[in-house]
Amino acid sequence: MTRARRETILSYAILILAGLLSLFPILWIIGISLKTQADAFAMPPRLIFEPIWDHYAKVWSDSTFIEGFLNSLFAAILGNLLAFAIGIPAAFALNQRRVPGRAAILAWLLLSYMLPEFLFIIPMYGLFQATGLYDTVFGLALVYQTFTLPFTIWMMRAFFADVPFALYEAARLEGAQSWQILFRVYLPMALAGIAATAILNTIRIWNELAIALGLTFDRAQTVTVAVAAYRGYASIDWGALSAAAITSILPMLIFAVLAQRQIVGGLSLGAVK
Amino acid sequence: MATDIVPSQPSLWPYILPTVLVLGACTLYPIASVLWMSLHDWTWGGASVFSGLKNYKLLWLKGSFAIALVNTVIFATCAVLVELVLGMILALAANRVSAGAGVFRVLMILPLMVSGIAVSLVWKVLLDPTFGVINAILGGAGLPEPNWLGSPSTAMASLVMVETWWQTGFVFIILAAALKSLPEEPFEAARLEGASGWQTFRYLTLPMLRPFIVTVVVFRLIDTLKVFDLVFGLTGGGPLRATEAVQTLTYQTAFKFSKFGEAAAIVVIFSALIFAICAAYGVLDRRAGGAE
Repeated sequence: MTRARRETILSYAILILAGLLSLFPILWIIGISLKTQADAFAMPPRLIFEPIWDHYAKVWSDSTFIEGFLNSLFAAILGNLLAFAIGIPAAFALNQRRVPGRAAILAWLLLSYMLPEFLFIIPMYGLFQATGLYDTVFGLALVYQTFTLPFTIWMMRAFFADVPFALYEAARLEGAQSWQILFRVYLPMALAGIAATAILNTIRIWNELAIALGLTFDRAQTVTVAVAAYRGYASIDWGALSAAAITSILPMLIFAVLAQRQIVGGLSLGAVK
Repeated sequence: MATDIVPSQPSLWPYILPTVLVLGACTLYPIASVLWMSLHDWTWGGASVFSGLKNYKLLWLKGSFAIALVNTVIFATCAVLVELVLGMILALAANRVSAGAGVFRVLMILPLMVSGIAVSLVWKVLLDPTFGVINAILGGAGLPEPNWLGSPSTAMASLVMVETWWQTGFVFIILAAALKSLPEEPFEAARLEGASGWQTFRYLTLPMLRPFIVTVVVFRLIDTLKVFDLVFGLTGGGPLRATEAVQTLTYQTAFKFSKFGEAAAIVVIFSALIFAICAAYGVLDRRAGGAE
């Protein structure tokens, strides 16, 4: 079987090349974040150099950056809590066919997920200024529901659909209420699904820029807004810029390695199911 | 409750009500609000005066919206096409190998974990015309060294390239999962019949993957039409507006020039476009589902 063998070798070649191309930019920037100014701008680029931590020290002592980091963390926690508190009951109900208006609500969720960010930002800017939600993490977490809530419901509905209906009927026959069935039968069986959904929500919130840029000023600035401030360093201080970029993505990169299965499964769930 | 079909089972509406309320507040209010704003002359703190279609006319006369819309459509179309072809090749390749698939998957999802703004900073450094590593490699190989982001003729292509690096992993993951979900028998039969690799792909794999491809294309298309972070971080819409996108123009109009009426008019038109794509997808998807 020479054809099969040739195809396998070609496949490996393609995958190795793609994997290296995926990894290279991140590795290179990690390198720059550890180089002195002279090493970073050396031509031809230096592959071997004495690593220094000065740029990380600089970024980690930047209070705006640290606050942004913490604000993003709070926004992710709050955004997830809101999405699960509101979305889990809805997913449970929408999993059952007899709910009136089910198709319309599902379409509405998808639309909310798809609509452009500035449709939400521009009206909310005025509303938030008037209500004191402007420049607060809570306000951000609320607007993030335009995408976290649909995504959470979509995912949880798919996980609930995997729970055998016989379990539902058995609980019903024993006289259990709907909320008891949700908490005692469905939730325990969907814990893996909750984890996958929370991870993907967190990545999405952590990386969000447009809404945070429009609806925060200085108190609730997120990590992406703080990183955006380093754009100005593009021509002068590559070390600080790289250290800021790497620090901001490090938690998500660790996620990718530790929760690879959940991320891949979660991303493909919506499209393949 | 009257709406309940099975009387012994209580209504599930209380479970859905919070979602409906949040969705209403998060979508219906903004839609009504931008429609209203787009029809008024409006500044912060000042009085608002009904101005009819003036904001829309201004968009038309200034021409910057048309430029941004054309740029955005070109960016989205090119990026989705490249991502689809590359993602498909990678999914087919990954489907053939057994060892190392897990490592490869981690490598492919790494760029997806990176925020658009961090992606922009990373590539700004890599693509620097004088000190960037990419031009150093090209120069070392005796190839031309383009001014990637700095020249109007290459800036858009550079954006597409960065977007492709960032998001191809998503297309790959969906298509790889879809490939795994296909039944084995037709492929077994094709092999026994002596079908070539291309024939198998063209007449078997591709038609069976069609619903997944439609889904992935719609998701990527809408996501790329909404492009903001990359343009904001890499080019700021320049040089000479060569990469100005709809959402970066909206941001400028509203937050730099405080013209909220005009920004609202942009949002109305752009949201209608996104809505139309979603509606078309809804029809397509139902047809695809019905055909199975």
